[in-house]
Formats: sequence, C-alpha cells, structure tokens
Amino acid sequence: MSTEIKELKYSTFKTNIKYSVINTKVHNVDGIAKVTGRAQYTFDIKLPGMLYGKILRSPHPHARIINIDTTRAMELPGVKAVVTGKDTLGIKQGIWRRYEELCDEQILPLEKVRYIGEPVAAVAAVTEEIAEQALDLIDVEYEVLPAVFEPLDAIKKDAPVIHEGVERNVNVTRHIEWGDVDEAFAEAEKNGGYIREDWFRCSGQHHMCMETRAAVSSYTPEGKLTVWASTQSAYYTQALIAGVLGMREGDVRVIATYVGGGFGGKFELDAAMFCSAVLSKKLCKPVKIVFTREEDMIASKRRTPMYYYVRTAMSRDGQLLARESRMFSNGGAYTGMGATALYLSGFFHSFPYKWKAYRYDGYRVYTNTMPSTSMRGFGAPQAMFCSEQQIEWMCADLGLDPYEVRRKNAHTECYEVPGQAFIQSCGMTECIDKIEQWAKSKGDLGPNRAIGISSCGFMSGGIFNWFDSPYSFSSAVVTINIDGTVELHVGCQDIGQGSNTTMAIIAAETLGVKVEDIKVHSGDTDHCPADLGAWGSRQTLMAGNAVKMACEDAKRQLLEFAYAEMGLNIVYDLDIKDRWVHVIARPERGMKYEDLVRKAIRAKDGQRIVGRGYYTPHRKGMISPAYSYMMQAVDAEIDPETGKIKVHEIMTAHDCGQPINPLGLVGQLEGAASMALGYAYLEDLPMDEGKLLNPNLVDYKVIRAPEMPKTGMIDIETYEAEGPYGAKEAGEGLTNPTAAALGNAIFHALGIQMKELPLTPERILRALREKKEKEANK
Amino acid sequence: MINDFNYLKPGSVKEAFEMYAEHDDCKVICGGQSLLIVMRQGMVAPEYLLDIKGLDELRYIKYDEKDGLRIGATTTHREIEKSPIIQEKYPVLSLMETKLASIQTRNWGTIGGNLAHADPAGDPAPVLIALNANIKVGGKNGERTMPLEDFFKDYFETALEKGELVLEVHVPVPPAKTSVAYQKFNLLDSDMGIVAVAASITLNGDDTCKDARIVLGNAAPIPKRVKNAEELLKGKKFDEKLFEEVGRISYEESEPVADIHASEEHRRHLLSVLTKRMIKKAWEQARAVA
Repeated sequence: MSTEIKELKYSTFKTNIKYSVINTKVHNVDGIAKVTGRAQYTFDIKLPGMLYGKILRSPHPHARIINIDTTRAMELPGVKAVVTGKDTLGIKQGIWRRYEELCDEQILPLEKVRYIGEPVAAVAAVTEEIAEQALDLIDVEYEVLPAVFEPLDAIKKDAPVIHEGVERNVNVTRHIEWGDVDEAFAEAEKNGGYIREDWFRCSGQHHMCMETRAAVSSYTPEGKLTVWASTQSAYYTQALIAGVLGMREGDVRVIATYVGGGFGGKFELDAAMFCSAVLSKKLCKPVKIVFTREEDMIASKRRTPMYYYVRTAMSRDGQLLARESRMFSNGGAYTGMGATALYLSGFFHSFPYKWKAYRYDGYRVYTNTMPSTSMRGFGAPQAMFCSEQQIEWMCADLGLDPYEVRRKNAHTECYEVPGQAFIQSCGMTECIDKIEQWAKSKGDLGPNRAIGISSCGFMSGGIFNWFDSPYSFSSAVVTINIDGTVELHVGCQDIGQGSNTTMAIIAAETLGVKVEDIKVHSGDTDHCPADLGAWGSRQTLMAGNAVKMACEDAKRQLLEFAYAEMGLNIVYDLDIKDRWVHVIARPERGMKYEDLVRKAIRAKDGQRIVGRGYYTPHRKGMISPAYSYMMQAVDAEIDPETGKIKVHEIMTAHDCGQPINPLGLVGQLEGAASMALGYAYLEDLPMDEGKLLNPNLVDYKVIRAPEMPKTGMIDIETYEAEGPYGAKEAGEGLTNPTAAALGNAIFHALGIQMKELPLTPERILRALREKKEKEANK
Repeated sequence: MINDFNYLKPGSVKEAFEMYAEHDDCKVICGGQSLLIVMRQGMVAPEYLLDIKGLDELRYIKYDEKDGLRIGATTTHREIEKSPIIQEKYPVLSLMETKLASIQTRNWGTIGGNLAHADPAGDPAPVLIALNANIKVGGKNGERTMPLEDFFKDYFETALEKGELVLEVHVPVPPAKTSVAYQKFNLLDSDMGIVAVAASITLNGDDTCKDARIVLGNAAPIPKRVKNAEELLKGKKFDEKLFEEVGRISYEESEPVADIHASEEHRRHLLSVLTKRMIKKAWEQARAVA
C-alpha cells in the first residue's frame, strides 16, 4: 500500500520565544567612531615613505596601443615609477573565475583600450601633484579603431569587434524557461486571452559611493603585500590581487575596516587596487591611489542599461498565462559582475508571480563604453520597471483591479518556481492587502496626482559560486574572554550598511549577553575567516547563520559546564539571557554569566572558549536560500504643464522575515528610496561617442534631503526557516519596485505610459503630447 | 586638481584696490562657491587669488524709506535671506535666496561674488533686475554705478574693468502697488535653475497694469528682459489669455542653449509656462500691496 503525497509542505512557523536583543533598536556599533572622525577609511591611510599614484586613462573609446613612451615622465623630479601593461603579468582577470572566457579584463591592457577612461599607465611620485603632472609627460601612440556604443548596434553583423573571437560582441547569453511557452500563448489566443507586447529602455546609474575607489598597497621585501582597499569583499580582493600578481593568497593581506559605500560596484578588482599593488611591488614602498569623483564616474562601473522586450498573456479574468521576454544589455567593455545581473534580471522579471510558462532570453553585449555591473537590485529594478508597468496597463486595458490580479497570481509560501527556486516563507499576499488598505484610505488625491504600485521580491544571497571559492560562503569565529567579553571574527564586510551591528545583535542574542559585550572584527583577511562579502543581500542570512552557529558552539561549551556545576537533572534545559545563566523552567535558579565564563575557562585548563560557525547553502535551488517580498506604493503628483514630478510619499509593505534591527531596516528603506527614486526620475549617464557628459555632481543629479518624500513601512512578519532567527534580505530588494511604482503613478495621474528611464519632464510632456494627438485622431 | 596659487588677503577696500591693480592674472574670490568649482575643473587657473570675503566694510544691509535698500558686496546669501527688513520690504529677494543653493553654500557665497561671476543661471540677477536694481563697482581710479541690467555683457562677462570690484547693490523703493514673483525650474530643490523667470507688476488703482518688468534667467547669455511682453501688458486688465500670449513672447524671444538637462525646445516651453505663472502671481500679489 502506498500513500501518495501530492505536495509536501514545510510548515513555516513563528517562534514564541521572546528575544532580548533581536528586533530592538540598536545603534550602529561603529557609529561613534564614524561621527567622531576616528574611523579610518582607506582615504585616511598614511604610511611612512608613502608615494602617491595617478592613472593615465584612454581618451579613445576603442584604439590599439602602438607604443607607450614613459621616458619624459620618468625624468620629472619626484617621479619614482611609471608602469604600463608591460610591467604586469598580463593576466586577463575577472570575477567569474570559473569561466576563462569571462575573465576578459587586463587592467593596464597590452594591446587595446576599449572605453574612454580605461587605464593605460600608472605613475607613483612623492606627491599627488607631481604624479598628475607626470601623466601629461607619458606619450601614448594609438591607432584609433571604429567604436560602437549601443547593444543593438554592437550585435549587428558588421559591427566593430571589441574582443577578438567574440561573435557579434555577445558576451554572455542566458536562457531561463519553464512550461510550454509557445503552447501557452497559442492557448491564450485561442481562448480569447489578452496578449500585449512592449519595448522598454532602462538607463544606467552610477553607484555614487561617498568614498570613491581607493587603495593603499604596501609590498615589503619579505615578499608580503598589504592592501588597504575600499572593497565589498576583502576575501575576493585578496584572491584577485594574488591572482594577477602571481602571489599566494596567504601572502596578500587585505584590510577594509571601514568602507564608504559599495552598492554593488566594489567587489571586483579595480584600477586603484591593481595599479597601486603593481607600483608598490616594483618599488617596495607603499603607494596610495584615490580616484577623483570624475575618475570614479567615468571609469569604475555602472548599473547595467537594458533594453527589454516583454510579451505577456493574461486571461480576461486576470490570470497570468505566459510571458516571453528578450533583454539586450549594454555590457560595456568587460564582463565584471554583469553576467550575474543578466541572470538575475531575467529571474526576478518573473517575480512575484506563478507563471505556468515563462521564457527569458538575455543577451549581454559588449560595447565601447564603461563596463556595466551589479548595482543594488542587481538587474531587478530594470526588470520590475518593465514587468510591473505592463501588468498595470493590462489590468487597465481589461478593466481589472490591479490589486486583485496581483493577489490572484502572487507567490505563496512553499511554492516552487519550476526548476529554479523553492520559496519557503512568503508574505506577498499580506503585502498586497496592506498596501491596498493604505492606498484606499488616502481617498481622492485630486487632479494630476495618483498612487502607483509595484510588487517584487528579492534574494537573500546567491547560491552561485562562479568565483570558485573553495571556502564556505560565510564563516565566523567567536572567542569568549575571561571577563565575558566576546571577540567576534567575521569575514562579512561592513560597507556602511551595518552588518557588524547585525552580527553583534545575532551574537548577543545567541550567547545571551549584551551588544556592548561583543567586539566585532571584520575586514581583515589576516585575522578574519574567509567570506564572500557584501553582495546579493547575502550577509544577514549567510553570515548571520555562521555567527549564530559559532555562538551556539561556544554557548554549548559554557552550558555543558553549567550543567555539571549546577548538578541538574538532565531533563532540565538551560539558557543564558541578559548575562543570566538559568534553568528555563525556573528562571530564578541560575548563575551569573561572568562567573560561569571564569569557571568554564579554568575547567578548560585556561583556554578561552572558542566557537566556530559556517554556512554554505545546500539544496535550495539555483538562486537563493530565501526571498524577501514587498509591495510599494508611490504617491506622486505631476505638473502637466512642466512635466515635473513631486513625490509625496512612499509606503512599503515589506516581508523580510524577522527584522533583526529596526533602525538598520529603516536606514535601508530610506537609503533605497533615495537611490531608487533617483534612478526613476533623475539619474542618467548620457554619453556622446562613449564620452560621459556629466562626470561630476553638478551635472549628475542625486536625490538630496529636500526631495526625499515621506517614507513608511508596514512590516509583514514571516518566519524564514533558513534564516538566522527567521531573518531574510532587507536592503537591496527595496530598490526594485520604485521606478515601476512611480511609472504607474504617472500612468494613473495622466494616462500616459512611460517606457523609458529616467522619467524626465521632457519625456512626460512628449508622452502627453502623443496622447493628445492620438485622441485628436480618433 | 586645483592648481597652486598665491593668496592675497587685503585688510581694507583701499588695499584690495591696490593689490588688484598690482597683480596680473589675479582672480577675486568672495566666498568661492562658483570660482572653486571652475578652478577644480581646471577651467580657471589664476596665479593670484584676491580674497575680499573678510572685508566687513562691504558687509552690510541698509534700508532707507526714500533711498531703498543697499547691500554690500561681501554680504552672504544667508544674511540677505534672514534679514528682517528684506523679508518685510523685498520678500521676493529673501524667497529667492532660500532656494539659491544649499545652506552651506548660502552661508559662504556672497551677493557680490554671485553677480560678478555672471552665470546666466544665477538666481539674484533676474530678481534684482525686475526690482530695477543698480550696481556700484569701483577700483583704484574711482567708483561708478550702473543699472544692473547693463552690468552683464555675455556668458560670465561683465562691465567690470580691469582692477574693478563689485561694491554694492542698490534696490530702489518699488512704486506703489508693485509686486515681484520669481521661480526657477529645476528637479532638485535649491539646485541651479534650468530656466527661471522674474516678473514685476505695478498696478493702477483700477487693477490695470501700469508697468511690468519680465526677466528671464538662463534663457540667453545674460539675464534677458522681454520688453515686447512688458509693453503688451501695460494698460491691460487681469486676463489669463493675455498671460498665455505673454508666455508665447518669452518662448519666441528667448535664446536658450540645449544641454543634457533640457533641450532648447523644452527650455522655451518652460519659459513660456513660468512667464505666464509669474505674471499671474505678481499681479495677484500686487493687488494686495499698498
């Protein structure tokens, strides 16, 4: 006899344990050091005998390097070294280390430059001024080559070849498919379903970190290299630098104690790191390179610009039947993290709906522009801009309630995205309910003003390991000192997002001590365990699990001793809370944590208590161990005469599982709102023949305090079984819905459909004019 | 990177005149909120910088019921914005200052520095020209005063002769039943205007227009009066259709330049909208004043 189990459901559950640290408002553990100016960023590092480096950059978008003559520069007093590609091992590097063909970038190229701003030589001199003067004395002979700047041009047969042997400049392709898409469209057509297709254009965006790219490299005669770097992953930087210099990883130490922002742009090897290391190795002296804002803008990386074709079938009652999308992204000159953005954009383009049939074909195309890469949202803001607007328009075309349609198709807990991912916790439906209530409570907003909505979800860390790390994805070591203070060594990287605070909270909760008992050590490859770093919203879940495991290990050692010490019946459970070690059933019976630690260390022959933890996702599909969900509403008013947008309020219903630190969460919400609103209507990187036209903060506009609308969050609590204390992603995904929601607000306020980012006044007025002309012709 | 320069700090206006006459390739800095940007971009690399910000002789706001308002050149934007007498007598000037730039910039930047920089996108000039202001300049060889309107010659070029500094702005007492309105169009609050319009309306007792001054900002190499539009308004009654027409004249007479922030067509369009709105606003305000 057999029992057929149709669907095995994980039951997601909420714990009834009362936390003493989790979900309390904890200020950043490094906040005081930062606001008092004691925090040392790479920019602040000054070493004895340190030299200053500057980088000579290509003025051409595509050119062969015929010759570089450094004689005159070397003759300038104060210049200590000038290096070009010939002074390097000429290794083509990339962060997708498992795929040789995607390691395509020589920083200081030997043969060709492929974008304006690409490094061609670097100088070290006794002052920054002399280094800069020396750049003018380097004579580079170029043979200028035909260049191409847009993916839809670069993919043509007769387009210039940017990388030898790469046909039609197609760098990477990505196909995602489930269900029978052609069949589903045919069926929809037969049954009178509604099919709509649209083209969209999504712009790039600069990361605009407060700290520009910066590195100080110090190579010493012992054959060891120390690099202070502004990086999102000390471990990646260590491994990549060791690779390009032909050194052992262990001989390279990377220090990144404080990092002034990353947003996805700082975990590849950059020219500041590479050139300073090459110069320092040559001179055996420390060399510092700090990018100017202009350098950072023309020659770091950017959010990937994308062209999206989206075709969707919906039944007349609002069931999403099928989708096929094609995406062409402007990859710029090199791969970088762009290959991941290509995949994630296509995957999250399906979110958060249960498509029976779905197909995505993404093409990442090389062009002669600054490379594009990951940036907060990782391809999803672009994907949502297209998807969520089209669904909204289809609802309007069919006269359907957009909340109802989204609810009908939304992911629910224990849903499998066919062949891709398994969703455990999911609060999408509750998010829709709450935002619908909120929006309806606002009543009539008056003319030219409306609320637009967008739903989405995001990953809590990537499962992919294209970097080919042999280490666990996250690791932590916890050491308890004789007085009960705790040294927590983590590999996860605090880049201003507050991960050190998050880890301190998780450690304090787990050990049963206070946040101030925890000293977090991070951002130093000599002293911290390896960890993939701060990207893909991975640290709270992955490093959080590693920290929790390490602390549980240490706590177990303490409690073993406490059991013996207290002579308890083995059916009793012990716990530690707020530095009180006690019997759970009889909390008054116990001992002081400090006393227990002292005794336990003595019992261990004077050894400090050490706990270890690690995390690598297993059996969680192809993308991520867990997913956050949200719906965002943007209340916006548009001046129909000038096209100017005024955003009154942004409200987000957000399921990030169990919030760890409400203060950090609000910081993420507000930061994401400012970044995503900037992407939606302000920020753009216009170029002329590959030359950036606004490489400064006068002409590149970012949201500032007066433009920041009121923001609010409705917390949808779920419990994610895979996350530490039920937590999931809570910072990056919040960037995804805003452009789409604003687009939908404009649609409802003025009846126009915006298919191009950013949503500028001129584009709005043009759409209004076209609408009027269309109505007149009817 | 900003080039090295020699720093000159005069203790008095007289000494400033002398220093300025003595040094060739010398730029005057008075707050540096415009100059330092172009120096950082490498567009200007003077050998000498003459810093007159500390000259308190030129730092004053004086008001007299007959003479009107006098503002010394080294007075900061923030001081103008916060001045109770300006808030009372010339509210448009104070309001303009609140949106001129960030508070940090307003604390550093000065009215004299702003006008001498002669950026066509500058905020004070259109408002002051609408208010019929004069400017006093001077150097070693004496002082002279001219209507502010005549001070601007071209992009970043003024009537200042070699060795001359801006000394004072004078705003006469406005005629009865006069009000001025100003607005710039931008996407960031307190950012530079993509375009701007200042309109001054003086009414007769019967609510007809006695006089009008319309000044466009960033619509031409210098702040631009739209005299045809002003003439059209004179003697007319409040009429939104008329304002539309006046807006069209702004559209036609402006000569804006396209850049990445807006096309020429969009700028003209915005100028027509803002002209219409500012005339209406100034008119409505003028009705309320004595």
